[in-house]
Amino acid sequence: MSDPRAIAVDQFLAHPPTKVWRTLTDSDLLARWLMPNDFRPDPGHRFTFRTDPRPGQGFDGVVHCEVLEIEPPRRLRWAWRGGRLDTVVTWTLVAEGRGTRLFLEHAGFDPDDPVQRRTFTLLDGGWRSHVWRRLEQALSGTD
Amino acid sequence: MSDVFTALANPTRRELLRLLLERGEQPVQQLADHFDMRRPSLSEHLKVLRDAGLVVEHPVGRQRLYSLRPEPLREVADWLGPYERFWRARLADLRDVLDGLPDE
Repeated sequence: MSDPRAIAVDQFLAHPPTKVWRTLTDSDLLARWLMPNDFRPDPGHRFTFRTDPRPGQGFDGVVHCEVLEIEPPRRLRWAWRGGRLDTVVTWTLVAEGRGTRLFLEHAGFDPDDPVQRRTFTLLDGGWRSHVWRRLEQALSGTD
Repeated sequence: MSDVFTALANPTRRELLRLLLERGEQPVQQLADHFDMRRPSLSEHLKVLRDAGLVVEHPVGRQRLYSLRPEPLREVADWLGPYERFWRARLADLRDVLDGLPDE
């Protein structure tokens, strides 16, 4: 059972890990699917992602990041801080057939922060896919 | 709300919810049989779940039966989504970027 204060998402991509790695570590490519940034693939490098501010969540639109770990083409960890968040994003690439399974974990959400509680996730994917769906069915039966 | 979070943050309590979900109402001893722990520890977990409103207890004869009460989870479900949806959408965009890149 993984950390219940983390989000875990994974996706199969029909491309080899080295190619997937480029989209995670090339600043221009990152900007095309995530956000404009000044990323460099260097350990300890501090960089930002910029997006629209969300004043209601105390977020000025700047995500302050730091390269915590970089191990091409397998693993990449960023500190991810912005607004009330002080979190860590971890990417893991695993070769699968001719492609890559890309795992994302976004961890460190604070359950005691009311805004985060309202806004962010709680349960890990395994429990959610196996139990949560059935709980939701049970819930819908109580309407 | 924070009580619901606390209740769900523990694997034993999630397992208790799963057992009640899949097997319905049952006596505390039947729940205890699934765990390698002393009854008092299990009782504490059940108390956290009761305080969060996720289970209810009622006596039948000399037994105490537990059943699931999933309603408090509704509120949790409402704030589960946004960040995960953000990342799923970004990953879909990442896939599109990859599909448009020439092979190495």
